Amino acid sequence: MSKRVGIVGAAVTPFKAKWNEKTYYELAQMATREVVKDAKISIKDVDSVFYAIYNDIFERTCIPEHPLQGLIGMQDKFGMRVSTGGATGAYTISAAHAYLAAGRFKTALVLGVEKCTDCFDFLSMSATPEVIKTIGWSGDSFFEQQLGWTAADSYAEVVLAYMDEHPKDLKPQVTAKISSLLSQYVKNNKFAQRQHDQVTPQEVMNSRLIVYPFKELEICVYTEGAAALILAEEDTAKAISKNTGKPVIWITGLGEANEHSFAGKKQKVMPRIMSDYLASHRAYKMAGIKNPMKSIDIVELHDAFVHQLEITMSEFDLVPRGNADALIDDGLMLPGGEYLVNPCGGLIYCGHAVGASNVMSAWSARNELIKRKKKTALVHGTGSTIAQYTAVCILEHD
Amino acid sequence: MAKMKEKVIAPEYIPEKGSHVLTIDKEKYLIVNDAMYTFYQRSKGEFSPFFLGIRDDKKILGCKCTKCGLVRCPPFLTHCPDCNFAPTKIVEVGQVGKMLSTPPITYFANSLFLKMAPYGRGRVVLQGADTALSVNVYTTTGILAPGIIKKGTEVKVVFRDERNGEISDIFCVPTKELTKAQVAKKGLLASQINWEGAVEPDLKKPTAADKAAYGKALKEIKSVIKLMNQTERARKDIAGWKRDIKVKTTGGEFAIIINNGDIKLEEKKLTKPDFVVVARDPKVLADGLAYRGAITDSIIMKRLWISKNIEFTTIFKLDRMARSVARSKK
Repeated sequence: MSKRVGIVGAAVTPFKAKWNEKTYYELAQMATREVVKDAKISIKDVDSVFYAIYNDIFERTCIPEHPLQGLIGMQDKFGMRVSTGGATGAYTISAAHAYLAAGRFKTALVLGVEKCTDCFDFLSMSATPEVIKTIGWSGDSFFEQQLGWTAADSYAEVVLAYMDEHPKDLKPQVTAKISSLLSQYVKNNKFAQRQHDQVTPQEVMNSRLIVYPFKELEICVYTEGAAALILAEEDTAKAISKNTGKPVIWITGLGEANEHSFAGKKQKVMPRIMSDYLASHRAYKMAGIKNPMKSIDIVELHDAFVHQLEITMSEFDLVPRGNADALIDDGLMLPGGEYLVNPCGGLIYCGHAVGASNVMSAWSARNELIKRKKKTALVHGTGSTIAQYTAVCILEHD
Repeated sequence: MAKMKEKVIAPEYIPEKGSHVLTIDKEKYLIVNDAMYTFYQRSKGEFSPFFLGIRDDKKILGCKCTKCGLVRCPPFLTHCPDCNFAPTKIVEVGQVGKMLSTPPITYFANSLFLKMAPYGRGRVVLQGADTALSVNVYTTTGILAPGIIKKGTEVKVVFRDERNGEISDIFCVPTKELTKAQVAKKGLLASQINWEGAVEPDLKKPTAADKAAYGKALKEIKSVIKLMNQTERARKDIAGWKRDIKVKTTGGEFAIIINNGDIKLEEKKLTKPDFVVVARDPKVLADGLAYRGAITDSIIMKRLWISKNIEFTTIFKLDRMARSVARSKK
């Protein structure tokens, strides 16, 4: 029988558009220093480390985790990196959980870090086109990279296919309201890149098209930063919790799914994000959740794009497919509604430090469960071309 | 046929060696120009027939499962995973097809594709195929705007005149923009299509009202540009950037000069601008600069015209500056 596993410590560094003051070595150590402080343990008490780092080129080295092992005090212990695109962080939590549940270790450090805006385009004298290019190397190298594949255009493919099926959903007024709402939530996140960037729905509507149908204020921002969790098996978790006075947040459900990367008959179903559907429902099953609309209180959703946030919520069965605008129109995600969605501001306002993003989301979900005394949260990561990968974690208050 | 004289990395992308110091909170940080590069002699392996078909024969190939009959294009398999790995065989597919779904349009491209933007990339199911081929989509009528190519739009594969055996050797345009003969032609070349060039819009002779509108817009644009110069975040947006922009409107003409963090308006006619902006109604440009709607979107919607698509990069910077000024006011 597998062991229960819970989160007993969490920390993030400030998420910033650019950390000229620090390398990813220092960012990783900063998050580690803070997370062991939060769990009131020594790094010597940690048995294993699971690194969430997406892209070698961002860190400008292959095996970017190898210098970190000793720098964070984990020399001579187990260390493994996970890299699954945007879903890296959530998949890493899942991997760490599996080792602890199997009894291999008592404690695990989940450490996400990314340093992306060192990339720089000398033609436009700005970082973003080179960051997008670097992510562009993630596209299919035979059939897509040379067509100008980007993360944004591949997610836009899915969104537009959904809009082909549901032309009355994902209304611009609604996506603008969601972005504006997230910009209000981020005011409470002192670690966020855009803590003080509150925007009105009209400003969102007025922002420029980046990739049709996405406007600038409907897209996540690239960020540099790190985030960390301490996971522990049940007995150890309870002992740490007793010492810190903070409840254990149990990981009661996990689900993952990776779809086809090609489209057409018997391939990816373009109007759907089946990876979100399959992963969330596998996680619900593991957690014993029969009615997610009743059970889920808080959602920390990987909002690469506002439109995708809406579709993903429908794949989670938290809003009807084809009427995802009910999130706003019926107030489901408005303050006082059924769900609190992305109280950290999401990746659109807190920032997207890819490997660290979902770990940051878990940090936020844990904080919110404790602060608001809520029962259940869902943490989500999406990634790869055409929203191919998903990992979902269900967290529950002790 | 192949572009043999081109370098795999165009020289303009390669920065010079160098470094500089950035001071933050009185601490100095060293910033160094750097690159991470790897060259390949990479085999196309089992995809070779597909890419050779494009390069040499102007054919599109797929693979057909010998058991279930599913035709995959591109032919990314030698054996079908749905049929316990039954072998597939290479088949030729058609050069006309329908868009599987509405394709996205990229206006803000990655650094390698800035010259190509705006472009569409979507998936076409060619006649005789069951799966979709990822392709660039273009219109022959100018800038690709939303609504021109949608789910189900019939498109024709077009071959570039110079081909190197790459997926970018082909692209698609709507069949309704071609003649019947062009649609029927196998191996249609890009040079065999009439592409509408970048024709500068005519401006009518100004009326008194046009001149008054020009004066009003000019006043606001001057005021906004002054604010941009006073806003550190906005100045950062054009750090290292230089452009002389000729702005033509019905009521009059002026210049916007961008010079490494500085922006200014001059009431003069540039003779050698980097590019030209034509705004029949100067208020459209004033609105964009004042953050009342994006300049990018005004170009896409044909309310503004620019002489070079590559200069979307500069337009993005102007949009960014408008937002930076708005943010700084909060």
